[in-house]
Amino acid sequence: MNTERHGFKAILLRHETILLFVVLLEWLYFNSVGPRFGSVDNTFDVMRHSVEIGLLALAMTPIILTGGIDLSVGSLLGLCAILFGKFWRDMGMPIPLAMVCTIGVGALAGGLNASLITWLRLPPLIVTLGTFSLFRGLAEAITRGVDTFTNFPASFIFLGQERWLGIPAQAPIFILVAVGIWLLVHHMTFGRSFRAIGFAPEGTRYAGISVERRLAMVYVLAGIIAAIAAIIYTARLGQAKADAGMGYELYAITAVVLGGTSIFGGIGSVHGTLLGVAAIAILNNGLVHARQPREVAGMLTGLLLILALTSSILPKMLATWRARRQTSIAKTPITT
Amino acid sequence: MRRYFRELSVAGALAVVLLALAVFAPAFYQPQPLLSLLTREAPTLVVACGMALVIISRQIDISVGSQFAVCSVCAGLLAAKGMALPLVFACCVAIGGLMGALNGVLVAGLRLPSIVVTLATMVTWREALRWLRQGQFVNLPDGTQWFGLSQRGGQWMLIIAALVILVSLAIATRHLSAGRFIYAVGTDAEAARLAGIRPQLTTFAVFVFMGALVGLAAMMNVVQSPQVDPKSGSGLELKVIAASVVGGVAISGGRGNLWGVFVGVLLLASISPALTHLRVEAYWEKAIQGAIILLAVVADGLRNRKQR
Repeated sequence: MNTERHGFKAILLRHETILLFVVLLEWLYFNSVGPRFGSVDNTFDVMRHSVEIGLLALAMTPIILTGGIDLSVGSLLGLCAILFGKFWRDMGMPIPLAMVCTIGVGALAGGLNASLITWLRLPPLIVTLGTFSLFRGLAEAITRGVDTFTNFPASFIFLGQERWLGIPAQAPIFILVAVGIWLLVHHMTFGRSFRAIGFAPEGTRYAGISVERRLAMVYVLAGIIAAIAAIIYTARLGQAKADAGMGYELYAITAVVLGGTSIFGGIGSVHGTLLGVAAIAILNNGLVHARQPREVAGMLTGLLLILALTSSILPKMLATWRARRQTSIAKTPITT
Repeated sequence: MRRYFRELSVAGALAVVLLALAVFAPAFYQPQPLLSLLTREAPTLVVACGMALVIISRQIDISVGSQFAVCSVCAGLLAAKGMALPLVFACCVAIGGLMGALNGVLVAGLRLPSIVVTLATMVTWREALRWLRQGQFVNLPDGTQWFGLSQRGGQWMLIIAALVILVSLAIATRHLSAGRFIYAVGTDAEAARLAGIRPQLTTFAVFVFMGALVGLAAMMNVVQSPQVDPKSGSGLELKVIAASVVGGVAISGGRGNLWGVFVGVLLLASISPALTHLRVEAYWEKAIQGAIILLAVVADGLRNRKQR
């Protein structure tokens, strides 16, 4: 048992070290190809552009750890961005109040996912597929597909485009969320139960943990973080449109899985997710500096994802193959 | 009756929508627009049939939209090069089958989770297509549209083709052993293996079949217009998954049938024209689509709760 855990830990460690190595390799390569790639300005640019997807990936990590998935975060980002604009421009709320209301909407939307998944025990994939359509559809209906919110005050745009204490102004928020989720998942008994749920929900229930309540919390948290991402997105672009964050859920899932979290739940880490986000962000930005078309970055992300999956599953496959060969050998004298 | 409760209740919902249209917007039933609507939805029905099989075998394929675009563009390019139409047709189906086979190898051979594999192939195919074609439309040569028939003839041909595929698959999944294998594998792969079925082979075959159907559907879409749009098929994966789920296919595998999927496709397809005819703004379409999906699964959840 002990050695098994140790070996298991070693594999985990290996995945993240390999990924770190890949990220460093990417960085070195692009640094040698694109002269401006390694500059401070560009590094901050990469950070700025990856904050929203990074936030969604952070929110997705606990969800996937419990064996669930949330396809609706990108659509929710769009809906929250629109509602934020609506609160500020059409309802005349001051920016801070509009932010609070937006985060409240995010929590409510997460609560909708959570209640359908826990009370009715519906599969997360299909519930969030429904809310994926619903949230994006509401955003389109509210703006009638054309309305765009612009002319936000400079004090708000600051959050997305300026620097604060020498770093991009949205970076502290991201770091705060990242540290919070990391502590939750890796250092609190509350958060450690996510992985237990991913391994065996029924077993976790018998261990005295209220699985439903924790699952609900994870989805509500994702809603809140999606709302924060929406606010930062609006500040970065200086506008809110109904198509905000389209396809972001897929990037977030890619980053999480690339970071070594098993899509079946139970295995994974927050720092892995952060490395996954970095790998994708550097690839996207670096290829532009290397004068490659943007589409290549997308293709490579897809291939990288398949490679990461294959490498993570190979040891397990070898083990089952070996075990099955042994059982078939053991069975041979009985059947013949 | 009890057995098909789920399918019948969706059919009831469809009947209500159609009845409401008959009362409030009889213009919906003009033959030519209705024929055009059904023709537009014919490829969707074909892909939805394949998706239902994939979901029944307890997998999912979200790369069908990208596959659809790749097949469409390939078919357009081959036709533009002067290849005979039947040959283009065969190539299109083969290309779809090959892309399905790649998914199948990764899912069944390497036992990777289908949602992540098809997520990866979806991104890869879509970006590769955009890279190679830069979003260019392909102009089709004369005589390709509607297979060189009249518009009306072509439309009827596509609708009948889609219905033939639906009926033959519905019969096959019910009465052929290969069709029952899919249900067996989706219900319990290990039990199926012990019963002498090869689950990995079945899964692989289902993915290849899905790809071939996507190729077929792409061809059915290409012949409807004089140009090939490289963005055709975007969002198709969610549309057909929604149609399957609304039609009573359980995402946990092993349950559902193609008649339900047929009703699901019709119900989702009737939303957009219903909104236009009832003078609701068309922007609500996606929200209503989402609400219908949620309603369908909530009804399932409540029923299961009662039975528990």
